[in-house]
Amino acid sequence: MGKLKKKGQSGAATNYITRNQALKKLQVTLADFRRLCILKGIYPRQPKNKKKANKGSTAPVTFYYTKDIQYLLHEPILNKFREYKIFARKLSKALGKRQIKVAQNLEKNKPVYTLDHIIKERYPSFIDALRDLDDALCMLFLFSTFPATNKIKNETVENCRRLSSEFQHYVMHTRCLRKTFLSIKGIYYQAEIKGQTINWVVPYQFSQQVPDDIDFRVMLTFLEFYQTLVGFVNYKLFTDINLLYPPKFDKEKDEEAAGLDAYLIESTNISANILDQSKKPEKTDNHDNSKNEINDAKEELTQKKEWEKRLKTLAQKITEIKAQDVKSAAAETQTDDSQTAEINDNKNQLIDDFNEQQSNGKSSSIAENQQVTQITPTTKLFTYYDIHSASVAESEFQQLFSKCIFYLSREVPRYSLEFVIRAFGGQVGWDPTVGGGSLFDETNEIITHQVCDRPSQNHQFLSRVYIQPQWVYDCVNARKLLTTEPYRPGKLLPPHLSPFVEHKEEKAEDSSNESEEETEEMVLMKELEAEAKGIPFSKYQQERKQLKSETIATSRKTIKSGQKRTIQEIEAAEEQEIKELGKIMMSKKQKKLYTKIEHGRKKQQRKVANLQQRKRELDAATSKKKKR
Amino acid sequence: MARRKIISVTKKRKATGSESPNQKKNTVELAKDINKRNNTQKEGLITSKTSDEEEEEEPQSSDNSERILNLGEDLDVGNDSDYIAGDSLEDSQIEEIDDDEVSDISENERNLGEKKEEQEEKDREPPNTVGNIPMEWYDDYPHIGYDMDGKKIMKPAKGDELDKFLDKMEDPDYWLSVKDDLTQQNVKLTDEELDIIRRIQMQEIPDANYNPYEPMVEWFTSKPEVMPLSAAPEPKRRFVPSKWEAKRIMKIVRAIREGRIIPGNTQVQKPRFYNLWADSDQSRQDHPMHIPAPKMKLPDHDESYNPPAEYLPNEKEKEEWEQMDPEDREKNYLPQKYSSLRAVPAYGRFIHERFNRCLDLYLAPRLRRNKLNIDPESLIPKLPNPKDLQPFPTRLAFSYIGHTGRIRCFSIDPLGLWLVSGSDDQTIRVWEITTGRCVYTWTVDDIVHSIAWCPNKDVCGFIVAFSNKVAFISPFKLCDEEMYLFTNQYVTAGFNQSQKDDKKKNVHWVQPTEQEKESGYLVILNHSHSKTVKQVTWHRKGDYFATLAPDAGNQGILIHQLTKHQTQQPFRKIKGIVQRVMFHPIKPLFFVATQRFIRVYNLIKQEAMKTLQSGVKWISSLDVHPMGDNIIIGSYDKRLCWFDLDLSSRPYKILRYHSMAIRSVSYHKRFPLFASCSDDGSIQIFHGMVYNDLLQNPLIVPVKILKGGHNIVDSLGVLHCEFHPTQPWIISSGADHQINLWT
Repeated sequence: MGKLKKKGQSGAATNYITRNQALKKLQVTLADFRRLCILKGIYPRQPKNKKKANKGSTAPVTFYYTKDIQYLLHEPILNKFREYKIFARKLSKALGKRQIKVAQNLEKNKPVYTLDHIIKERYPSFIDALRDLDDALCMLFLFSTFPATNKIKNETVENCRRLSSEFQHYVMHTRCLRKTFLSIKGIYYQAEIKGQTINWVVPYQFSQQVPDDIDFRVMLTFLEFYQTLVGFVNYKLFTDINLLYPPKFDKEKDEEAAGLDAYLIESTNISANILDQSKKPEKTDNHDNSKNEINDAKEELTQKKEWEKRLKTLAQKITEIKAQDVKSAAAETQTDDSQTAEINDNKNQLIDDFNEQQSNGKSSSIAENQQVTQITPTTKLFTYYDIHSASVAESEFQQLFSKCIFYLSREVPRYSLEFVIRAFGGQVGWDPTVGGGSLFDETNEIITHQVCDRPSQNHQFLSRVYIQPQWVYDCVNARKLLTTEPYRPGKLLPPHLSPFVEHKEEKAEDSSNESEEETEEMVLMKELEAEAKGIPFSKYQQERKQLKSETIATSRKTIKSGQKRTIQEIEAAEEQEIKELGKIMMSKKQKKLYTKIEHGRKKQQRKVANLQQRKRELDAATSKKKKR
Repeated sequence: MARRKIISVTKKRKATGSESPNQKKNTVELAKDINKRNNTQKEGLITSKTSDEEEEEEPQSSDNSERILNLGEDLDVGNDSDYIAGDSLEDSQIEEIDDDEVSDISENERNLGEKKEEQEEKDREPPNTVGNIPMEWYDDYPHIGYDMDGKKIMKPAKGDELDKFLDKMEDPDYWLSVKDDLTQQNVKLTDEELDIIRRIQMQEIPDANYNPYEPMVEWFTSKPEVMPLSAAPEPKRRFVPSKWEAKRIMKIVRAIREGRIIPGNTQVQKPRFYNLWADSDQSRQDHPMHIPAPKMKLPDHDESYNPPAEYLPNEKEKEEWEQMDPEDREKNYLPQKYSSLRAVPAYGRFIHERFNRCLDLYLAPRLRRNKLNIDPESLIPKLPNPKDLQPFPTRLAFSYIGHTGRIRCFSIDPLGLWLVSGSDDQTIRVWEITTGRCVYTWTVDDIVHSIAWCPNKDVCGFIVAFSNKVAFISPFKLCDEEMYLFTNQYVTAGFNQSQKDDKKKNVHWVQPTEQEKESGYLVILNHSHSKTVKQVTWHRKGDYFATLAPDAGNQGILIHQLTKHQTQQPFRKIKGIVQRVMFHPIKPLFFVATQRFIRVYNLIKQEAMKTLQSGVKWISSLDVHPMGDNIIIGSYDKRLCWFDLDLSSRPYKILRYHSMAIRSVSYHKRFPLFASCSDDGSIQIFHGMVYNDLLQNPLIVPVKILKGGHNIVDSLGVLHCEFHPTQPWIISSGADHQINLWT
């Protein structure tokens, strides 16, 4: 016989620890514990059996996983918290005694903690960090719109703004934005980075009313962690595509409200070149005279500035040149539809070219053994083509606005539109009242689209299309350039749908409904046809029956000739009955589960039916109006 | 002596003044102060030594001197001077000067003769001994204190406001006078006193003679001393490097070496962000206790700023949403439509929602829940197709109509030709099963509760129970002559035997009247109790039958022998309310179903064999399988239990499918079928196959639900059902006065 197991020494009883026990074990205050939990990502658990976890009591208690708490015991931050507490005590003592010098000295040696190791611990791989970026981004974007108050420091807000802008720059640079959605709460974005979809929501830019009933200590602790996380993620993202991190921040531009343009995104190669170039003359000078060093340094600085200026202007010039090209292209194809058509043509051409290349390559490379070539094309060509077309579609989607040049009127949300348009390769200019740094002004002829949100425009340029902002977002969601006609200013906009709703479900529902209707309709149609042919109904039924009896031998002829029920209906009824009979033999547990599932399904169906019904009513109402 | 000391102090104070006019520096305060001190001393004296004259005089004199000083008069100077003379040099000076003053003041005296007299009187007056107390305590009294002898010192005449005014007008020095609290008299301030007041007002040092700028006395000089202060030799420690300092320095040196302290205070700032995942970028293996937080829900169509019109809530839905508790709401927003993006306002709850998300992340307990992604249809057990289990009744063939009350019972003759039914309309009817024709009708004088056709195929007749009677009726039209004769003899033969022993009986076997005989009654059993007989049931051979009257106590269950007209009472005591009784189809066993249990008795051994525990609340009906090893019971709490007697005393299967109470259950005599009927108006047909192999459990498959035959009247549906003995048909009777045949 094995050793007797004692109660409460294994399983749930030892796996879980209540919050108060945890506090006692860690010897921290509740506030410190909460901060620690937020930073370390420790969360309470719901044990499967409360009684087993809590010594037979079912009182409402918060449980933590015991091992989480054990790990916390060795947490360096825990020590830092204690050190900080001691420091605070010493400081207050010194201040109380008016020992200013001592206080200054203490302040200088204040214990500081970093969260680097926690981030590495919580997200051992970069993908893990990306997966958990949603909340972090939402938080940063929210706080970057906050006013600085006594609770929220200005530096925090600045840092949030900086980090979020850097992330936006990355998204624009890599063209990884996928979906956008204008909701009543804010603007949702979805980006795809390294195979991970990242969603975040940005509030509409109004001055935030900071509510009183919110514990900002909690929010700020989260923010502290998220700032570090996004910082490291940004670093990794930037350096992975050979960009300098942190990007240079142009204060003058920021003061002009240039927004995203205040950050100068540089490739590491360019900057390395600059450094090399600037270092060479310095070295020569050093040989000559050591006293001139300061002057040299100044020269170096000025040279650098020149370089940067040149680079900037270069970028601008490039964009201008591009824009001109686009303009010339746009002149050829006036309407959008023709543009899209052209794109399609291009695509086809591309694919064709590629296929040719493929075939050429293959014929040249595997000319020796023909047998292999005979087998391979049939299998390989298809898959290759498939992958290729998919990638082409993807790259085309990323270049969605590459041939459009937008001008934003002052009433449209620049902070969002600039981001979206640039993330899909478009050029944007804006009204100088919204901020500085616009590439071109309103009168420029190269503009193809002007985004405005006013019902009427004072002066309209014929060379450009006037659209409402929703067009941009709808284009992104539709993954193609839509016709601009319904989005003209002053027009009633088509509904803006959420791209996050799975289309499969809806379609499936629709199609199922349709199929049912179809079957009924088909039966009726056949009956009508039979009548038209002059076959009496009873005879027709018999025929049908014969047909059916061939397929299903067991089906009984329970229908009297006078009855109007069709065979299919009877079959359905029979099936229904069999189902009902089966339900009798279900166990209680199964029955419960079944009713639960059915309940959920029916609820969903009711919802869909309700929507459809409402739509039908609305359609009827509008058609009536039209008739009148 | 303490007193003297104090006085000397006062003198010294005077001495500090040092110059001659200062000796007359008698501020009111000073005077008061001294007065007080003297007084205290006096008190002390009074308590200690009152006899000593000298001692007594002295304070007086001193006080006098004070007064003199105060008023600028000198009368008993000699006294004073006498005393002071021996004290110090300075005092002698005072003496002289005092003398000078006296001469001055004597001139004044002449001017103010009256005043002088008063003053003299006053001087003679003993001093006030109340001490240092607030003088307002004496405001309400005519006196202001006590003198040395303990006599009251009366308040001086005060004069009214007019006198005061006149004083003010007449006396040019009025404004220079101050009221002395102790004596309650006006005292004129001297020039010195005025000077002090002026100095105080000017914020100068009150003492005119005090020089704040006296030359400094150098205690510690800048000149080096040649001689050491102490002759002790210098200690060794002055010449040896400090051990403790060295230790402290080493501590710092070690810290610098280890890099804990970076000298020069130039902290090289590490870049804040770096490639954190440079050395290892492998994600951890998934741990069952790691539960990542669920992602936020992505927005639906109705969250759009410009949703399709059908997503917008109507007025009613809006109101509902607003009245709902915020926690109960399915969505925390109301869909809204804005004509343009420009019109979209800020979302007020944005920060709240973010905050709630934060709270969820660190406060909400997490639980890994396995989402069942199964097809609900797969939960339904796969049963053999009912079509393979035919024959069984599938549809309503026709109804037997004629009764005008609930039909509680009916019975089919063993050959399956006739049906006899008893109803609440107090009639018994015999029907031809195949045609539905009513052949016979009898009227009895009470509700017919139970009816049972004799299972003996040679006997044509049935027993019927109404009130406390049971009758054997033979429908002679239905059988041939021979059979009728046999029946008659079979039933009435008992009359000859039973009449012999005429003891007290439970039942009287009565011969029917002539009229009754003509209509078919052969024998009537009158129970001695007056309770209703609810059930009659035959033994399979058709000789014995049992009657059940649940309310009749131990006479409730009786077993009768038809051929001998004998009655037995098998149970002396009956536990519980008996619902049903039944004979075993093969063995000499007897089943008694009470509310919750079924007891099985052996009739030969006369003992209880077994108790079956049904687990239901209230058994309504019972039937035994024709093989005898299985039982089904129906219950008022909608359950049907199948007992396998060989298996267990608990049900083999409990089925709950009727939505209302089960009224009756029944086995088919030949086919593997059983049925149950319920108040919900439906009859359920099951395929219930029992195998001869003991190892194989019975197979129960539901095959048909017969609905729509019976209407529900007063929440009563189908009251009784019974299978046809030879055909796969079932007959049911209901509260809607109908009997239905299902084929």
